[in-house]
Amino acid sequence: MLRSTSPLLSLFAFLLVWGAALVSAVSTTGNRLLAVFDDVGEKENYSKFLGDLEGRGFQISYETPKSESLALFHLGERAYDHVIFFPTKTKGLGPNLTPQILVNFLNANGNILHTLSSTTTTPNTLISLLAELDITLPTERTGLVVDHFSYDTLSAAETHDVLALPPPVPVRNDISPLFSADAPAGQLLAFPHGVGAVLGPREQLTPILRAPKTAYSYNPKEQSEVLEANELFAAGQQLSLVTAFQAINSARFVLLGSAEMLQDKWFLAEVAAPGGKSVKTFNREFAKRVSAWAFQELGVLRVNWIEHHLNEVSAVNESNPHIYRVKNDVTYTISLSEYAYDKWTSFSLPANDVLQLEFSMLSPFHRLPLSLDKAHSSPEASAYTASFKLPDQHGIFNFKVNYKRPFFTNIEEKNTVSVRHMAHDEWPRSFVISGAWPWIAGIGATVSGWVVFVALWMYSAPTDKKVGSKKTN
Amino acid sequence: MRFTQSLAPALLVLAGVVQATSWGFDDGSVSVVAKRAGDAGSKERFTSKTLATKPISLGSTDTLKISLTAKDNGSGKRPHQAFVILKEKETGLEAPFPLTVKENGKAVTSITHKDLPVQFLITDEPLEASIVLGSFGSSKALDAPVFDVKLQKDPNVPLPSYEKPVRYGKKEEIHHIFRADPQSPPKVISIVFALAVLATIPVLFISWAFLGANLNHLSKAIGAAPVSHATFFGSLLAMEGVFFLYYTTWNLFQALPVIGAVAVVTVLSGTKALGEVQSRRLAGER
Amino acid sequence: MSAETLQVLADVGKGKSTRGVLRVIILALIAGASIASRLFSVIRFESIIHEFDPWFNFRATKYLVANGFYNFWDWFDDRTWHPLGRVTGGTLYPGLMVTSGAIWHALRALTIPVDIRNVCVLLAPAFSGLTAVAAYLLTNEMTTYNSAGLLAALFMGIAPGYISRSVAGSYDNEAIAIFLLVFTFYLWIKALKQGSMLWGALCALFYGYMVASWGGYAFITCLLPLHAFVLILMGRYSTRLYVSYTTWYALGTLASMQIPFVGFLPVKTSEHMPALGIFGFLQLLAFLDYVRSAIPSRQFQTFLWLFAGGIFVMSLAALVVATSAGVIAPWSGRFYSLWDTGYAKIHIPIIASVSEHQPTAWPAFFFDLNLLIFVFPVGVYLCFQELADEHVFIIVYAVFGSYFAGVMVRLMLTLTPVVCVAGAIAISTILNNYLVAKTPTEEDQQAAEAAEKKGSKSGLKSATKPVVGIYGLWSKSLMVAGMAVYLLIFVMHCTWVTSNAYSSPSVVLASRMPDGSQHIIDDYREAYQWLRQNTKEDAKIMSWWDYGYQIGGMADRPTLVDNNTWNNTHIATVGKAMSSREEVSYPIMRQHEVDYVLVVFGGLLGYSGDDINKFLWMVRIAEGIWPDEVSERAFFTPRGEYRVDGEATETMKNSLMYKMSYYNFNNLFPPGQAVDRMRQARLPEVGPSLSTLEEAFTSENWIIRIYKVKDLDNVGRDHISATAFEKGLKKKKTTKKRGPRVLRVD
Repeated sequence: MLRSTSPLLSLFAFLLVWGAALVSAVSTTGNRLLAVFDDVGEKENYSKFLGDLEGRGFQISYETPKSESLALFHLGERAYDHVIFFPTKTKGLGPNLTPQILVNFLNANGNILHTLSSTTTTPNTLISLLAELDITLPTERTGLVVDHFSYDTLSAAETHDVLALPPPVPVRNDISPLFSADAPAGQLLAFPHGVGAVLGPREQLTPILRAPKTAYSYNPKEQSEVLEANELFAAGQQLSLVTAFQAINSARFVLLGSAEMLQDKWFLAEVAAPGGKSVKTFNREFAKRVSAWAFQELGVLRVNWIEHHLNEVSAVNESNPHIYRVKNDVTYTISLSEYAYDKWTSFSLPANDVLQLEFSMLSPFHRLPLSLDKAHSSPEASAYTASFKLPDQHGIFNFKVNYKRPFFTNIEEKNTVSVRHMAHDEWPRSFVISGAWPWIAGIGATVSGWVVFVALWMYSAPTDKKVGSKKTN
Repeated sequence: MRFTQSLAPALLVLAGVVQATSWGFDDGSVSVVAKRAGDAGSKERFTSKTLATKPISLGSTDTLKISLTAKDNGSGKRPHQAFVILKEKETGLEAPFPLTVKENGKAVTSITHKDLPVQFLITDEPLEASIVLGSFGSSKALDAPVFDVKLQKDPNVPLPSYEKPVRYGKKEEIHHIFRADPQSPPKVISIVFALAVLATIPVLFISWAFLGANLNHLSKAIGAAPVSHATFFGSLLAMEGVFFLYYTTWNLFQALPVIGAVAVVTVLSGTKALGEVQSRRLAGER
Repeated sequence: MSAETLQVLADVGKGKSTRGVLRVIILALIAGASIASRLFSVIRFESIIHEFDPWFNFRATKYLVANGFYNFWDWFDDRTWHPLGRVTGGTLYPGLMVTSGAIWHALRALTIPVDIRNVCVLLAPAFSGLTAVAAYLLTNEMTTYNSAGLLAALFMGIAPGYISRSVAGSYDNEAIAIFLLVFTFYLWIKALKQGSMLWGALCALFYGYMVASWGGYAFITCLLPLHAFVLILMGRYSTRLYVSYTTWYALGTLASMQIPFVGFLPVKTSEHMPALGIFGFLQLLAFLDYVRSAIPSRQFQTFLWLFAGGIFVMSLAALVVATSAGVIAPWSGRFYSLWDTGYAKIHIPIIASVSEHQPTAWPAFFFDLNLLIFVFPVGVYLCFQELADEHVFIIVYAVFGSYFAGVMVRLMLTLTPVVCVAGAIAISTILNNYLVAKTPTEEDQQAAEAAEKKGSKSGLKSATKPVVGIYGLWSKSLMVAGMAVYLLIFVMHCTWVTSNAYSSPSVVLASRMPDGSQHIIDDYREAYQWLRQNTKEDAKIMSWWDYGYQIGGMADRPTLVDNNTWNNTHIATVGKAMSSREEVSYPIMRQHEVDYVLVVFGGLLGYSGDDINKFLWMVRIAEGIWPDEVSERAFFTPRGEYRVDGEATETMKNSLMYKMSYYNFNNLFPPGQAVDRMRQARLPEVGPSLSTLEEAFTSENWIIRIYKVKDLDNVGRDHISATAFEKGLKKKKTTKKRGPRVLRVD
């Protein structure tokens, strides 16, 4: 029910046209992808993964950290939209890729996919970057995750360092099962020679894949024989194998514990858990989804328009007014779309999750669930709506949709409206209030008494009665 | 020992097939050692098959000692992984406590309140302890729940502060509580009082009449100054009418000019009319 | 000068009509002079609104003119007190704005296109002319000498005590309220003298106008009943008093209740109870008077008087009970501070923090009233000599006016009219006695002596007037000349004070260059203009409340708090944000959606009205609400000193206000040489660092500094570590964590 073209709407219309013009760009934020290898030749190992990316429309540039021409920014603008770091053996990544530049890259809406391997130590640069994101890697910058319960019996029967895991389920039941949805039954994810990380308490972090309960990380160089009790880095579900980080501006960072799982070899391999049949790996699909998430092809939400209006019988038909009155009935509608690889689709909430609208001044006065409004939804966009009565407090309020969920673009929409007090002529009239009737009657009595008194005072003749004459004098 | 990927998968398949050995333990025992010397610690035994019956209670100054002998296929051996994993049942959080294992498989560890994560310290539920033994190679690893631990909190020691970390997700619904609307008394009462007030009008008029009020001078007054008396009294009535219109429909700027006009009429005609009244008074007629 | 020439001169003013014309001309000249002397600021600077409150009044007037009366009446202002907003239409005294709006509309109707700003700037001088006329009328009611009225008009026109609030540009409520005050008093005296309902109704009308214009109307509300009460106690109850008082009270109260801001206060609060009580008491007295006239028994009369007294005491007791039960609002804190000057400082720091609420320093009386302060008691004494009803009024007014003027600087304003009136009475009496060139003849003397002999037998001795006096021409002319010199000095003093003390807009500062030329310091407007042009239209500015109205008026940006200090908690919140560490302040600023923080810093220029000097008030006000989190003591060194240099306390150095004031300040000086010129303090070598704010603007003389509040860190770090990372500092390894370890919960 768009009553008038809001500036927001026209902006989105413009964006839509603009988006349509760039047919080849499939990611919502651009298709310039930088892949950083120690040696560009290594890319052959990842040909299927990189081929898939190119197939999805990315233009991949290959660089090594040593390359002097490598620059993430050109004249203050991002030179690339996304970066993949493959394991490099160098100690640092050089002056072109300092942690500050990488954080700035995230701040400028760039996305980073960072892969680790237990066979190479992670460069200091990336360790510092991870520290800024509250992710900790094992000391000595390397570690190996093993699990004596769920390893691939085909390739690591002795070493147990290729984990064979079911496709990851979300860590909570209200999180979108983006990475495991529609996974073929029985397929296993091979996680060869991976490094686990420990995540800090920050809310921007979400593990995509956590290690199973019995898995643990150790240093294969020093702890291959004996794992001293006090030297354990982390074990079980505290060990995150694949980690998603989404900054406040929705820039994404993925830490993939095993670079090897992206290699062609593991895309094609079959794995078997102890006591299980050998099955095809889920790696190719998982790699697709993880990279698609990291590069803004999955889990990207867009606000198409927001509209609020008075929901009263005799109301003026105005969209998004700047001012309401206390205790007005209003309706708020927000239209959302979700991007899936190459097109915008209607956004449907994950099971157990709700989209909430806050009406707040300093703190929320209302926090209400928004329900799907079929009348304003389409295959490309779904509208969510809520109707409510404004609080009986005047002030400057915000309609606030703060939909921040793991794996979804942060949506923080604030529409400021003033809520004014009752104007002097908006109160019920006194004759409507029954308690006022005696007072109104009093006014009537006074007025009629006065008029008659004036008449009597002017035109009454004195009487003989003594009392009467006294009165009229 | 460094494992490479070079091992032939076929060999591994074979290994998987021949896998028959498995990890286990003997002499599993758990004891609570109190800090105070006087207290003799309790001791419970457990095996991989049987759970200790009662939850073990661990005081805030006590030490929980767990010991066992790890065995690979019956013979004492050191596994690479020998953990006691404590699990908080409500949240499902787990914390591993590696055992210190000797070559012959004898393994011990001790746990105090200080070693426990903060989430365990604040919970009231018992913690579930399980033993995990496993190592490289083909032997089947073991994960066996063994006993429950109940933490005894010292009321004198404040619980560590723990704030649930912020997690993106839905929040509690909030509905504004409106102030109650002002209430009118029952209509009957209002009507009764309104009638009582209105009743004063006839009472007033009747009592005036009783006191001898009359309009006998009206003709005299009209005769003396017909225009001014009519306009004066009329303007008073008009003023009341303006007030009534202001009450019902007019705004201030509609009312003010009219009030001004009526007031001028009242003053002008009033001087004349009231002068006439005065003349009657001076003539002793009032 | 011979007696003949004097006679000729005196004859010019003999004819009645000539005198009338002369009076009108003189009054017009006085009005002209009083307007002219208020124009210094316009000539020196420009036609600009002054100070703080006038900026709000100006903004409100613009709103009124642009949106019409009813929208103004229902105005909800969403650009102040963010995010609470202010029901401005219902919380202001609309008289001033409506007056200038009406003038503007009238001028437009006369096809005189004039900017509303000029109407506002010149409103106060225009009304000061009217005040002079009102003072003339009031004084004429007191004495038969017309010269007294003219003198009073002159005094009223140029007394600095009144000019302080009514120079051109000082567009404040007082600008019209003083005229209304004097005029209402005049109408009251007129009504009382004549016992006239018409004058009483006029008095009520102007009282209503006064209520619509200034919160100081309570002064009238209390003074009139007090006058009536004193008259009753003196046994001067009369039907004149009854008619005038009841007319005024009934109509005036109804009129005052039409102002939304006042509403039902006249029947609910203690400040208005005296008026109501006297109203009731007068009814009682009228009834008793009627009964007494009907029943002549003497004993019965005594009984009746006792009865009246008893009822008076009982209703007083009922008032006390109703107040303690909360039916009637108790005296407000502002009122308490009138009785106990220390009260506000302890209980309501927000009131005490206003400089114009401070007790008056003695020199201020001389400064503001000069000669008049000496002749004022003489005038009051002369009133005692006559002691008619109206003189009682002057006496009562004088007593209370001087008390209140002693308690609060701003109440000097209410004292000024009575000082002018009493002073005029005194001086005119003196002049009238000494300007008469006639010497009493022998017969006169004898007649007087005869009268004295007669009088000494019957009456009191003091009641007779012996004919003694100074008849020598020399002594007379000496006296007159002395008086004239005093009056000339008075005029010079008034002009000097007006020109030097009261004509500065305080938005623009003027200083003298070493060569004596004037140097204008225009930092305020520079900064407000910067805000207007460089920030979003709804960027919220946090500053101490002093600057709220100016930011709203000049920069047109929403503010958190302003000079309408209606919400102490909100002000305390700002105080807390200013006086806390950055980590504490930042969430407060986020919650209140603050975009910019503005501070006033006088350290470079030596400007005393800066925020560091006001800082302790912020701390005190915040401490009033959060005694656990903010402590005034922590801002003083162990030796009890308030310092800003290297020895300042840690709390002081870490407070947001200190950091914002001195951020980058030492870059202006050679290393280690930074000196705060205001406080004469050598600052530490390393200046403060800011992580949650970034400097956005600093004005030419550093008087105004504006900081932008940073967004949340994009990757979720706290600002201090984010800043450290930006600077390339290595993150400290936090291997040794205190406390138990924490598992990550998803």
